This record gives sequence, structure tokens and C-alpha cells, in this order.
Amino acid sequence: MDPLMPEAIPSGTTNSGDTTRTAALTALCMAILAIAIGYGAAFRQSGTPAWAPWLLALGIPISLGAIMILGAARGERGGGVGPLKLPFLFVVAVLAIGFCAALALPATESPLSKLWLGLPARAAVVIYGIGLLPIVVLPVAYALTFETQTLSAEDVERVRAIGKENRERASLAKASSGNELSE
Amino acid sequence: MIGISIPGTLLQVGLPSAAQPAVIAVGVLYFSVVVAISVWAARKTRTASDFFVAGKGIGLIALTVASVSVSVSGFAFIGGPGFIYAVGLGAMYIVLPAAVTNVMGAWVLAKRMRLLGEARNLITIPDAIGARYRSPAAQGLAAVAMLVGIVGYMATNALAMGVVINSIFGVGLGWGIWIGMGVTLAYSASGGILAGIYNDVFQGALMALASVLVFLFVLGYGGGLGGISRTILAHDPTFLGPWGKLTPLAALSFFFVFSMGSLGQPQAVHKYYMLRDPLQLKWYPLLKTLGLVLVLLLYFSVGVGVKAFVLGGRLLPLASPDQATPSLLLNVTPIILAALVFSGVAAATMSAANSFINIGAAIVSHDLPIAFGRTVRNELGWGRAITVLIAIAAAITAQRSGTMVAFLGIFGWGLFASTLVPALAVGLNWQGATRAGAIASIATGLVVTLALETAAYRKAFTFPAGVTASAVAMVASFLVFFLVSWLTRRRAPLELDSDVQLVMEL
Repeated sequence: MDPLMPEAIPSGTTNSGDTTRTAALTALCMAILAIAIGYGAAFRQSGTPAWAPWLLALGIPISLGAIMILGAARGERGGGVGPLKLPFLFVVAVLAIGFCAALALPATESPLSKLWLGLPARAAVVIYGIGLLPIVVLPVAYALTFETQTLSAEDVERVRAIGKENRERASLAKASSGNELSE
Repeated sequence: MIGISIPGTLLQVGLPSAAQPAVIAVGVLYFSVVVAISVWAARKTRTASDFFVAGKGIGLIALTVASVSVSVSGFAFIGGPGFIYAVGLGAMYIVLPAAVTNVMGAWVLAKRMRLLGEARNLITIPDAIGARYRSPAAQGLAAVAMLVGIVGYMATNALAMGVVINSIFGVGLGWGIWIGMGVTLAYSASGGILAGIYNDVFQGALMALASVLVFLFVLGYGGGLGGISRTILAHDPTFLGPWGKLTPLAALSFFFVFSMGSLGQPQAVHKYYMLRDPLQLKWYPLLKTLGLVLVLLLYFSVGVGVKAFVLGGRLLPLASPDQATPSLLLNVTPIILAALVFSGVAAATMSAANSFINIGAAIVSHDLPIAFGRTVRNELGWGRAITVLIAIAAAITAQRSGTMVAFLGIFGWGLFASTLVPALAVGLNWQGATRAGAIASIATGLVVTLALETAAYRKAFTFPAGVTASAVAMVASFLVFFLVSWLTRRRAPLELDSDVQLVMEL
């Protein structure tokens, strides 16, 4: 066994009870499956069916939201994503509504179109809604909840202590294998 | 409506000659600063850790600017605006994911990789996969997959450097490749990632400055975004539709590949190891996202601006979409702005090349020996030697057939995404993931990407509009990862070390 590798944890101690992570993983799996079906449908000889893009329009926001929740959920401190629920929900909704609006709204772009911040309505939904709104919410939510939801000085110290133990164990193993060789 | 075909993705188009005194002077100044930074960094590089992860001692601002710099290739300055010019707003789905990718990467990967670096002294991405699954085989397979992608990326970046340097100095494509790779190699081999990071900071700042100035100029010249839109709507309303001239499936496919796939891009993910203090991650996503927005302003403004100027008769029709940026710079903007942008494009290609050279050297001198149960005594020395070999191999490959180089480069992004995202991004956050699932997923990504891209390259197979090999391979890799991990779920607890589990719990 590699001396740098600490012992494996006993069987059955994985945190399977974490409902947030389980839900996020299930959502991620379902969303990827929906996207796969959407792509699969495009291979039909009669052409891409009209419902295929809708699967991606819903599957993409859900998959991105799910993987973010999976990453943000903590096993300790009660688990879950705490106050991050709202920003995640908001961004998934913004992306899904944006994509669905772009699919559903009729094409009315013309020289007489009303412009929203310099763009016709459907383009404004895409550029400002999908492209800019998440920037206002997600990175700010990440920073504001960083110490409580992501990483605290105490977390770093715990991991550094383990790192120190790992290094000491490795150097001991190296020294003892050196002694055995010299004997 | 058209399917997915990105013109000038690889910056292989011939750029028009920009060899004017102002452009040459700014180019010489740019290269002088790069050399000065490299000499300084070489003096500070003493260990393999210094060489590959800058001794884990980079500050927040430097890391942020450097990360922005390596995330944006010459495509954002040349091919991207050309793509918008050709297909309209549908081309924006390549860059719109930037609104979520940086913070997504921070939540999914940054904390866990940085903490694993603390616990295990890890320096590479395959290191993290090896530690997560207690598996040198998974580490080795990830290393091989990354190396295949890096070969392609390096060849295309070398060619892109040649194109840009030839345009600035008029030295010929062959000499342009050797000069660009020579300068990049000089700082990669001597100063490693430390030289790369501080050159990236300079190059990123240059790119942001050039992008903002061009954006302001285009808005002013076009009568604001409203004026530009009105001109386009009068001639080509579809251009400003939500999908442009792409199919909805094609545009959404771009969004999927460039958002989810960002979690597997080594040039950005590798940076997580380098931050001096893990607590500085707090502001990293916000700063990086804002930086990317600044650099991508040129992508959007030149694409729509040149379309309006051509439709409005203020600019001659382009010979090809790739000429959008050069045509604007050489015919409309002040020459000093053109000089800045051309140097910015050189900066973008060089920073990407440096990053990939460094990662490739780490794979060969560190990950592959571990996979075969060996250790390299002098990692720094080997790292430098392999850096030289990779750069020379890339330059020689770039001199060869353009279509072959294009083929090598096309699958780079998709290969990283399909091989690394499930095993790394999901695996570091799901304790039920197994070694067999990771290995099967990486192998699936590698085989499916290579098979589909080769079939497409040889014209043995044509994808339906909106479907790409990258997307299919990533979806297949995800599904295999979930399925095999579920089938082998009883082994999951046995393959997770206690320290890795703690990092995954935090």
C-alpha cells in the first residue's frame, strides 16, 4: 500500500443519508438523460422533432443547478445548501425561462421592433437574462455565504493538520524502508 | 438555418498583414515585457512545486487575471466575432455560459481540489483523480486522455501564434510559428508556471484593455447598440433572433458543452491548486467572471458591429467571416488600437500554449510514472526537458497539413470535457462514485470522442444539425459513469480514504 494513502474508511460509513446530495444527484442524472434523449431524437430520419430542443432547454438549467448544489452541499454542519437554495432556484429559473421564452415567443424582429437596452425583445432575454442576470446573483451569493457554507478557517486548519500527519507518516515509511534496505 | 460549423475556430485563417510601424512597435514592446517577466520568474523557480504549481503561492488578483487570460484563446478575438458575423446571436451561446461557469467551478471543484492539495500535496488534475479513487490506473488513464487533448491544443496554438506573428511582423508563417513557440518555450522551460502566471497577468490585462477600448469604439462608431441593432434589423432581422441563424438545438448544444464542459478544462481547473490561501477563493468567482465579461466585450461588439457596418455600407463586404476583426481594425479604428488588439491576440495564444505545455510536462514527468508505479527523482529537471520536447513537437506539427492540425485541435475542448467532468467534478462530490465508474467514464469519453471526430473528419459520418461529437461523448461519459458506479456501488466505501472523505464532507 502506498504509505501516503491513509487507510480506507470502514464499509458502510458513506453519507448516504444526505438528502440534498441525493436529490441533486438524481436531478443531474435525469437532466443528462433528458439531454441524451434530445440528442438521440435529432438522429431520426424524419429530422429533429420540435420537442427535442425543449428537452435541452429544461435539461441544461437543471443539470447545471444540480451539479452546483452537489458541489455546494456540505456533509457536515447539518448538511444541505442552507441559504443558497434561493440563488440556485433563481438561476435555474432564469436559465429555463430564458431558453423556453426564446423557443416559445414568436419571431417579431423587424426594423420597427421595440428595443430593450438596444436589443429586440427575444435577443434581450438571451443576452441580459441568460448572460448577465446570473452574474449579479451567483458570485455574490458565493462570496456572502463563503465562511458559513463553503470554507472556514477552521476547515482549512483541519485539513492542514491531516496533511501534516500524512507527510509525517510518509517520511516515517520512507525512513523505515531505508533502514530495512541498509540492514 | 445552419448546423454547427465554426469558422476560424483555430485561428488558421490568413490574417491580413498589419506590419505597420505602430503595430510593430507595440509588438516589440509586448515581447520585451514578456522576456523581462520570464527572466525574473526563472530566478525564483527552484523546485518542481515552483515549476508546476508556482509553489502554491499565487495571490488572488494575479491568479484571477491569469485564469481569465488562459480561459480565452485567440478565438475570442478573431474566430468568435467572425462566427457572430456569420450566424448572428446564436454564436453568443459559446460565451454566455461564462455567467455561471466560474462560480460553478468554485462550488464544484475549487474548494475540494485546493483542500486535497493541502492534505496530499497534489500538483496535477490526474493526481486528484488518483487520490479520489485510490487508483493509479484512473490517474494514468486521465493523464493519457489529457495528453491526447494537449497534443491537439498545442499544435493549433502554435499555428495560431505563427499566423498572428506573421501578421504583425511579416516574417512568414513558418518563422512566426518558431518565434512564437521559441518565446513561449523560453519562459515555460525556465520559469515554469510562475513565469506563465505573471506573463498571463500582463497578457490578460492587455486583452481586457484592448477589448474594452474596441467595445467603446464600436458603440461610438455605430451610434450605440440601438443604432447597430436598427441597421441590422433593417436588412437581416434573423441575425438578431434569439438563435441567430443556428437551429435552437445547435445553440443550446453550445451552451451545454461550454458550460458543463468547463469543469473539465485543465488550464482553468489546474489553477485551483495555486492559490496561496484557500480562503481567498471567496472573491475568485466574482472577480474572474467580471474579468471574462471585459475580455469578451470585443467578441460581441465586433461581431454585431461589423455586421451593421457592412450592411450599412460603411465597410466593404468581408471576403470571409474571419476577417471581421482584422477588417475593422485595419480600416476603421485608430492604428494604435489595432496594434493593441494584435498584441492581445498574440498574448491569448501564448498564454494558452504556456499553460498547456506546463500541464503536459507535469503529466509526462509526474502522472504517468505514478501510473506505472515509478517515481521520478528530479521532477524539475525532467519537467524542463519535457517542456522543450512538447514545444518542439507542437511547432513541427503546426508546420504540417492545416487540415490535420485542425482535426487535432477541434476535439481538445470536448475531449477534456467528456473524459474529466464526470470522474472529477461529480466524483469529488459524490461518495457513491466508484473507481470502475471513473475508469469506464474516462475511457468512454476518450474512445467516443476520438471515434466520432475521426469519422466526421474522414467524412464517413455526418452529424445531424445541432449535434456535436463533444456533446454526445460528454453525455455518454456521464451515463456510463452513473451506470457503472451504480452497478459497483458496494465497492464505493472501500475506495475512499478518510482524508479524502473529510475533504468531500466539508
